Amino acid sequence: MRTGAVLAITLVEIRRFLADRSNIFFAFVFPLVLVLVLGIQNSGDQPAGRVAVVGDDSSLQAALVDALAGSDLEVEETDAETMRADVAQGRRQVGVLVSPEAARAFDDGDAVELEIVTGGQTAALAVAQVVRTAAATAMLRGGQETVLAGTGATEQEVDEALAGADERIAPASLAVQDTSEVAQEFSNVTGIQLVAGSMLLLFTFLNTLAGGAATLIQARRDGIVRRTLAAPVTAGQAITGIALGRLAIAGFQAVYIVVATRLLFGVDWGDIAAVTVLLLLFGLVGAGLSMILGTAFDNEGTATGLAVGLGLVLGALGGTMFPLEFFPDTLRRVAHITPHAWGYEAIAQIQRHGAGVLDILPQLGVLAGMAAVTLLLGSWLLRRSLSRAM
Amino acid sequence: MNLSVTGEPEALRSGRGEGANVAEKVLGAQGLVKRFGPVTAVDGVSFEIAAGETFGLLGPNGAGKTTTISMVAGLLVPDAGSVTVAGVPMGGSSVEAKRHIGLVPQDLAIYPDLSARANLEYFGRLQGLRGSTLRQRTAEVLELIGLADRAKEPSKKFSGGMKRRLNIGVGLLHRPTLLILDEPTVGVDPQSRNSILESIEALSVEGMAVLYTTHYMEEAERLCDRIAIIDDGRLQAEGTRDQLIELTGGVDTIRLTGSGSLDAGAAAVEQMPAVRRVVRDHGTLVLTVSNAPTAIAPIVNAATGAGLSLADVEISRPDLESVFLHLTGKALRD
Ligand SMILES: Nc1ncnc2c1ncn2[C@@H]1O[C@H](COP(=O)(O)OP(=O)(O)OP(=O)(O)O)[C@@H](O)[C@H]1O
Ligand SMILES: [Mg+2]
Repeated sequence: MRTGAVLAITLVEIRRFLADRSNIFFAFVFPLVLVLVLGIQNSGDQPAGRVAVVGDDSSLQAALVDALAGSDLEVEETDAETMRADVAQGRRQVGVLVSPEAARAFDDGDAVELEIVTGGQTAALAVAQVVRTAAATAMLRGGQETVLAGTGATEQEVDEALAGADERIAPASLAVQDTSEVAQEFSNVTGIQLVAGSMLLLFTFLNTLAGGAATLIQARRDGIVRRTLAAPVTAGQAITGIALGRLAIAGFQAVYIVVATRLLFGVDWGDIAAVTVLLLLFGLVGAGLSMILGTAFDNEGTATGLAVGLGLVLGALGGTMFPLEFFPDTLRRVAHITPHAWGYEAIAQIQRHGAGVLDILPQLGVLAGMAAVTLLLGSWLLRRSLSRAM
Repeated sequence: MNLSVTGEPEALRSGRGEGANVAEKVLGAQGLVKRFGPVTAVDGVSFEIAAGETFGLLGPNGAGKTTTISMVAGLLVPDAGSVTVAGVPMGGSSVEAKRHIGLVPQDLAIYPDLSARANLEYFGRLQGLRGSTLRQRTAEVLELIGLADRAKEPSKKFSGGMKRRLNIGVGLLHRPTLLILDEPTVGVDPQSRNSILESIEALSVEGMAVLYTTHYMEEAERLCDRIAIIDDGRLQAEGTRDQLIELTGGVDTIRLTGSGSLDAGAAAVEQMPAVRRVVRDHGTLVLTVSNAPTAIAPIVNAATGAGLSLADVEISRPDLESVFLHLTGKALRD
């Protein structure tokens, strides 16, 4: 009986959603728009990005610019100050600092450290990755040349030797040390992977939050809630039922986005079970929060407006608009009051590090706790709202 | 002030004439109080309803009927007092007592975008009905409320009366022990109203206890075994219709209008034992009598015998309206 009532409420929510044709339209079209936006971000025709290389003339710098020129990137040599300003303001996505020590180390065939400055936009992460690869190529080749030149061979001999002997000769110890952890974190994600995960979280939350508050207020105004609670149904069951209904609708759309981006753009979502569990719990927090809005407010417009605002603010603060990794430490700690930060962390683990359900248990636990708190608060508020004239 | 007319047990027994058996108590409401800020909407209301009994809560707008019902149905937590339904206390986290109740709210409470059948099935599921029982009860109720042939239409396409009937049907699905109807006929045309009242009478015959609120005294008189008059959040009196009417002194009014010797007529009827008072009002004699139906014939004879030629005779018996007026000094309908 307990689950029976919850299920009945959930099903009627879905049924009512489907009864409105405009809802069905939005349920299919809106995610499709989202998918298309993601696709455009992914398309290869986009200018790949702009990179600034900073340093005195050196063979390392020349080799690096050469290697970068082989990619789609627009490369400019400039001074450090201009580069930092450009990156900060988004005119360039990435800057590479070639220090005199690095140039010397390169010439000597020693370990080379390059400093890479990355801008905040998600596109910068992809550009940084290209730069990293180009730098590695330049240094590999440079290292090999140095080794061979050390044997006294002519330039032509070196080229010939290298052409056939890449695998035979171990390069001098070469490493690109990205100074930021951030660049390392993103070293194996393409732009769309990152954007798709964040967008899916942002969208799922907004979807459950905004839709749920309005339906609940309408059901309260129509006397449906009173009548439901006059049946042997607790406020908690009623709230859970409605929240699950919204979750089912948002969940359907989320799955649709996952499948579409996978098929159309080859987005790798990682462990599907983990993504599903994560989205369910994360969406339930959104639905729970919408139950709070739907009981605390008596006006659909107010509640929906607040829901959208809250969804965007939480989304921004939680790192789904601007990656969490770029946040200063304090702000990143603050960000963890949002479900988004936990969701983002979990989806990053799943997509970038092949995490499964067990690996993201801490995040899932926090999200489950948040969902429980919102649903409990929603139930309490719902009981209280019964004595309020509407 | 609670002018309970009779001791409760007698009232319960006499209610439906069930002989010596004390009828099973379905509802007990004890000292209910509800405040909304400075307003005390319900102020110490107590009553009981037995199985098969129809109990009316009669009072004007704002008297506290809906608030009382909301506490009985477990939707509002009383500030004081308690409710027991079929022996189960209402309230706390338990929903057990609610299983016995079917609530028909004053305002329509149905999903406008769902069909009549879908509405019934949804609320039936909430009551724990499943599978074939649910289908069968849904079909029976659709028949009872006369919506069987419109079962698939969304309820927003229904007329006001049809919506009201669906609203009532939802409360009947699970055959509640206690059916609570909050002014179910408001805004309904006379024909639909009559059919609603007939269904309620039939249910009561089946043994369902009914708590019925209304501000129409004719409905209370027609349906209810016992009636409580509520005003300003308090029960002013409670009993059968006749018991309530006795509170007014049980006197009827006879109006004799005519020409000829009015004074002689007045003098003649004044002598009669049934007549308590005679007042001359222009061309009419207004008589206060103890039992008009038996006294009317001798009175008319005496008056005509005294030379009054009658054009019109009017008898008015006291009704709940007069009771309300008598108790509160106000008219039931303003
Ligand atoms: N939720 C509420 N908040 C504040 N005051 C309320 C609330 N509900 C009822 N009241 C007040 O309590 C009193 C009793 O209201 P109630 O609705 O119980 O009356 P009623 O007898 O059902 O009237 P009606 O015949 O108009 O339905 C009124 O004064 C009303 O204004
Ligand atoms: Mg009312």
